[in-house]
Amino acid sequence: MRKIRTIGICAAVLLVAFSFSSAMAAQVSLRFSDWHLTEDVWNKSLNEGMDIFHKRNPNIKVTLEPVSYGEKETKYTVESMAGRAPDVFHVHAFSLPMFFSKGFAKDLTPFIKKEGPGFMDAWYPLPIKLMKHKGRVHAMPGDYMTMVLFYNTEMFKAAGLDPNKPPKTWDEFLAYAKKLTRDTDGDGKVDQWGFGTLGSKSPGFSMRFGPFLWSFGGDYLTPDMKHSALDSPKAKEAFAFFVELYTKHKVVPPGMTAMGAQDVRTQFAQKKVAMILGSGWTPPIVNKINPDLRAFEVLKAAPAPMKRKQATAIWLSSWVMSPNTKHPKEAWELLKFITSKEIELKWFVDNRVTSSRKDVSGVAPEILNDKFASVMASQLPYGKVEPQIKQWPEIIDTFTTSLQEAIVGMKTPQKALAEAHKRINAILAR
Amino acid sequence: MKRAIRIKDRHMWVFFVSPGVLLLILVLGFPAITSLSYSIKPEQAGPVSYTLSNYMNLLKDPFFSRTFWNTGIFVFLSVASHMVLGLAVAMVLNTALPAKPLFRLIALLPWVVPDVVAGIIWKWMYNPIYGAINDFLLRIGLINTPVEWLSNPALALFSVILVNLWRGFPFVMLILLAGLQAIPRHLYEAAGIDGASRVQSFFHITIPGLRKMIVVALALDIVWEVRRFGLIQAMTQGGPGVLTEVLSTYTYKQYFQFFRFEYASAIAVVMTVVLLLVSLPYIWMISQEE
Repeated sequence: MRKIRTIGICAAVLLVAFSFSSAMAAQVSLRFSDWHLTEDVWNKSLNEGMDIFHKRNPNIKVTLEPVSYGEKETKYTVESMAGRAPDVFHVHAFSLPMFFSKGFAKDLTPFIKKEGPGFMDAWYPLPIKLMKHKGRVHAMPGDYMTMVLFYNTEMFKAAGLDPNKPPKTWDEFLAYAKKLTRDTDGDGKVDQWGFGTLGSKSPGFSMRFGPFLWSFGGDYLTPDMKHSALDSPKAKEAFAFFVELYTKHKVVPPGMTAMGAQDVRTQFAQKKVAMILGSGWTPPIVNKINPDLRAFEVLKAAPAPMKRKQATAIWLSSWVMSPNTKHPKEAWELLKFITSKEIELKWFVDNRVTSSRKDVSGVAPEILNDKFASVMASQLPYGKVEPQIKQWPEIIDTFTTSLQEAIVGMKTPQKALAEAHKRINAILAR
Repeated sequence: MKRAIRIKDRHMWVFFVSPGVLLLILVLGFPAITSLSYSIKPEQAGPVSYTLSNYMNLLKDPFFSRTFWNTGIFVFLSVASHMVLGLAVAMVLNTALPAKPLFRLIALLPWVVPDVVAGIIWKWMYNPIYGAINDFLLRIGLINTPVEWLSNPALALFSVILVNLWRGFPFVMLILLAGLQAIPRHLYEAAGIDGASRVQSFFHITIPGLRKMIVVALALDIVWEVRRFGLIQAMTQGGPGVLTEVLSTYTYKQYFQFFRFEYASAIAVVMTVVLLLVSLPYIWMISQEE
């Protein structure tokens, strides 16, 4: 009797174990990583998105892996080298040349071909172009936004400026910034500044400097990307203008070279600066830092001021499938889902980021009627991307080093820029 | 039978030591060899498989020489200040202090804070607009305008070293406290009877008594400070310019931001050689004792 009971229990355990493993085998697990998972608003939005995906794909289980914004390239590089990168991960478009060159991004062209002709027609041409490596698509475009000028209408009014007339040129901008740099509490010390900007060697700096450089008519590199273009008179003029905002006109708060993007947004949220360059993420983040500011009411957006031509920087993110994924078909389903028209619109509604899909950013009333997104969308034709070459991270670090040396007075702007020009040429000549 | 057992006993140590040695080879040896092999590979694929060009480029790189110099200053000042403050606090804690365990805990607290967290906290404290340090100094009238601790070229590196002093002295304090407690009390009593002053006792009893612990603390602290990364990366990322760039942040940049694996490996090898040289007195002392 005891023997029969024992055999029965063993059989039952084996049956359960077999069923469990069968169920597990039937369900595919995917790892999905995104720096947005460290941000409250985005985290909620992504989790909701995954719930929708799970309902539609019950055989796929997606595990979300947050990563810090500054460390994502490091993490994905190390994991890719170890053959353990997440199945799908989110990076800036400017990281793509490096990922492509090291073979860390799977060729998506076969999947796209299976979707039928015209599948990629829904996206703007520039993002698609930047997703390609040797003519083949190796990533899917994500957020597509332009840098615009955000300003605090209440601070404008307090300084005697009309909030419906934001500065259109950089010269006007400087005049506004000077008026907005003031002592608000009467203690004889300036406690509010006209403009907040990054000066640290952190991601996002080049997007804040790009609108200056390009609208002055300068550029980082020559069109063939083989030489530095920072020795042109227009590049020198843009560089000097930017540096002198801090050194000569003092319209930027102290400590600029230590300020990253979040530090500047905090200054903006705390009404220490009246204007910043930002994009779709700016209002929700500023609102989160200081809800009392009523960011969505008080802030307004305007095109980045111009000097000789309208120009601004484009922010483009991308979704990459790891070549190490054991479930490429399922990973493609996830990629398709997060870049679908429905979910791209959700990303905008929840997080205020515009899409690289024409059928979203170009037509959705939610975007066209939004006071911030409509401005960003209007600037897409004037948007430029940074050089998409694998040396770019080293080039921008070298440039920022020289800029910091000019800002803190170690070198004159002319000397600092000349050194940057020389070093960048040496990098490109390797 | 007796002979068979003797042979077995003589070789048993192999089985006990092997797992640890294998682990060391895997965790330390494999990455070291991989780094070394990367360091002698060319950055661009070509006809040459192995080259010393990465090391030659180090010699020509003005950023590297500046970084090396910064590292020297950072390590020298950090270690020196750790030794001074660590010894001072250890001597205080070695006295008959009321609530000594509490003071020991307070003294240890900076050491348990992770590097990056310490860097972020102090970066906020140094903030020219919101920072507690400027606010305090302005209120007591010591300064009239906020100081840009991390942006001023004359102050940036020393501001980082100050944070490192706060963060790192407890480790040295612990080692020296252990050494102080091992010095026999009767030596101080005898010196006192012979008319020696406190300063004389310090230089003729305390310092000689702490000699070995000082070498241990120096060697370990130098190694750790050469490798210090999180604190500097969180506070300044090597800026302004390259004023706070040290070997560890420069290596990180080359590896993980610029993806120059071969060049970064060469820097890592140079760092390792420097650390080995620094560790030689410590290794010699340990081997002498054995």
